[in-house]
Amino acid sequence: MAESEEEVDVLVQRVVKDINNAFKRNPNIDEIGLIPCPEARYNRSPIVLVENKLGVESWCVKFLLPYVHNKLLRYRQRKQWLDREALVDITCTLLLLNPDFTTAWNVRKELLQCGALSPQRDLYLGKLALTKFPKSPETWIHRRWVLKQVVRECSPPETDRKEQNGGEQRDAAERTWLSERLHRVLYDEMKVCADAAGRYPSNYNAWSHRIWVLQYMAQGDLKVLHDELSSMRQWVSMHVSDHSGFHYRQFLLKALVKELSQAPISSPPPKDCRPSPDPRCHQAHLSEQVNGEATVAAPGSPPPSPEEKPSLPAVPQLFQQEMDLCTDLIQSFPGHEALWCHRRHVFYLWHHWRMDHNQHNGQGCVIRSPKLKHANPGLSCRPHVVSPGAVSLEQSENRNGQAHESQDAMEVDGVPDPHCTKRLKRGPPCPPVLPTEHGFVASVLDGCRSPEQGRFALAYRKWLDSVIGQ
Amino acid sequence: MGTQVKDVVIKPEAPSVLLLDKHADYIAAYGSKKDDYEYTLSEYLRVSGIYWGLTVMDLMGQLTRMNQQEITDFIKSCQHDCGGVSASIGHDPHLLYTLSAVQILSLYGTVDVLDVDRVVQYVGGLQQEDGSFAGDKWGEIDTRFSFCAVATLSLLGKLDAINLNKAVEFVLSCMNFDGGFGCRPGSESHAGQIYCCAGFLSLTGQLHQINADLLGWWLCERQLPSGGLNGRPEKLPDVCYSWWVLASLKIIGRIHWIDKAKLRSFILACQDEETGGFADRPGDMVDPFHTLFGVAGLSLLGDEQIKEVNPVLCMPEEVLDKLGLHPDLLS
Ligand SMILES: [Zn+2]
Repeated sequence: MAESEEEVDVLVQRVVKDINNAFKRNPNIDEIGLIPCPEARYNRSPIVLVENKLGVESWCVKFLLPYVHNKLLRYRQRKQWLDREALVDITCTLLLLNPDFTTAWNVRKELLQCGALSPQRDLYLGKLALTKFPKSPETWIHRRWVLKQVVRECSPPETDRKEQNGGEQRDAAERTWLSERLHRVLYDEMKVCADAAGRYPSNYNAWSHRIWVLQYMAQGDLKVLHDELSSMRQWVSMHVSDHSGFHYRQFLLKALVKELSQAPISSPPPKDCRPSPDPRCHQAHLSEQVNGEATVAAPGSPPPSPEEKPSLPAVPQLFQQEMDLCTDLIQSFPGHEALWCHRRHVFYLWHHWRMDHNQHNGQGCVIRSPKLKHANPGLSCRPHVVSPGAVSLEQSENRNGQAHESQDAMEVDGVPDPHCTKRLKRGPPCPPVLPTEHGFVASVLDGCRSPEQGRFALAYRKWLDSVIGQ
Repeated sequence: MGTQVKDVVIKPEAPSVLLLDKHADYIAAYGSKKDDYEYTLSEYLRVSGIYWGLTVMDLMGQLTRMNQQEITDFIKSCQHDCGGVSASIGHDPHLLYTLSAVQILSLYGTVDVLDVDRVVQYVGGLQQEDGSFAGDKWGEIDTRFSFCAVATLSLLGKLDAINLNKAVEFVLSCMNFDGGFGCRPGSESHAGQIYCCAGFLSLTGQLHQINADLLGWWLCERQLPSGGLNGRPEKLPDVCYSWWVLASLKIIGRIHWIDKAKLRSFILACQDEETGGFADRPGDMVDPFHTLFGVAGLSLLGDEQIKEVNPVLCMPEEVLDKLGLHPDLLS
């Protein structure tokens, strides 16, 4: 194709216009994509809108991108004037094709600052770009900047000087409206993250953005943290290799435990409870508060029945549910490193929480040194000696499926599950302690048919020995 | 039913010897083929691209094949009044490209091409109250930028221009239970971020703050049966992650914990025998980025056909020797 410069100009301007018209015609476009199409079809726009999907025929991209790219750079170098509307259109086309072009996002930041662009419209463009480029670091970075502007807009108006009469009421209504808007933005953002996480496995940028959003927009919000933890339960169960998804759960768990452990400071417990030397009294209060504030919490597990409610400490319950989930997934999906990493982190958090709380009230078993020892002898040797070869393959090869099943049946019937949770379903929650974790490893290794599963189980055992303590 | 391990299989016919001449030809030709579309697509990181190309040429002893004058003029024209350097002309300045520019000019020993005082001012001005660094004036925070800041200032001998205690405090706040680091407090450990944080702590003399055994363990677990290293659990092996993990292990004195021979054969298998250059994985398309990290990785593994590379700054040791810059390494 040997188009002249003028022809390219005309063509590209038409395409940029077509793209922006498509957005005007259908404000519900929810996905963009490239349509493989090496040749132009006569007299037909390369912009195709099918339902809510916007497609660009691939043949035109090699003209389109350099054109809008160079145009924006000429503007940036003050070699060419572009009005605001043209800038909005050009950066839109440019960023849908190349969302890591930092400077184009910066131009939009300036447009937003001068009011030529709304935060919603900009967040929408980013959302579309992420449907095709779910990792795009610059798109995520730009979103954080826009969200900061939104939060600033939504922060309650300064109330240094008391307004007269109806002022306070108006203020209250305004505040409610703002907080609802913020909530909608937060909810939409979680959806954008979830969508990008679904499009690319272990999407670091999507998940670290989601963490940032919670830290920035929902700090200490028990309800949001609970809702996230429960909605993530199904997601991780369907994405057992997604280390980032599990890390997010660890983050939620840690944040929840922190909030729950601090709760008495923000809302003091009843007087008779506060000085109580009995830790259960303190914890029972916490659990009531949580259940009261977040009734939808953790639907994955049945809510405690009324009579056991007061005796169910919130934090141990959370840990138990998480360890149970982890056990189920490790048994159902053998050989997934992400699951074993999750187990390490959850057990680590639980171990330290228990230790801190036992230290404070002098109860419970004594746990050894919490600090990770430098130059720990268990760690100094090469960890990769825990190789697949370390799992006896003979054992698993000699055991046919039948024999293995009967082994499983035996465990259910008689041999106590080394993991205490099943036996204690009706009692107070009892997340595992070190010996039960060793029992869990032994049960996994016993009759293990997956070399990877065996390797991860042995590595976990070694981690327990050297990091948590003998 | 076993699970498929996320890894690659290295074919017997994969390259197993280092094709240095091919790689030098590939890099030398790369800049001259300015195919409109591809070139445009990567312009937003041009200065970093130049750093990758020049550094790998220098490591292979071929720096003279690159056009020093043209490169120097270009870098100079990318410096803005604020002191920061942009990826290319007309783009906005950023810490990422400011570091790359200073690295490039350090290879040539001509940092004075830039207004160095303004560079220092620019970097110092991006430090936040909590000690972290923004990447540019728009305020994005990331431990990568903490590394960029101290690496730039170290090369310029101006580390005293920032609040080091605060900077260290922030990076340490991003340390995780597994000994690794993420981009911000609470973020997942990631080999690239670990490299930045280990490098940062090396340049600031704070490596004792790392739990080297714990971090070393996590890093070693990145090695897959193919010998290649991934950046996080259950990700595919990749030449660039192999560099970040390997360099981090070198910095914390645990490089002997991985199987070096296997890693070497993985990296060699990522070469393209026809075009030259390295890809992320065997059989994929090559690029200058993975070519640098492939060659640098082989240097860390002790290949004597390549100049010795510094694990912290990813530059030839001889360049840093001239600057008297010797970042700490744990033994
Ligand atoms: Zn890579």
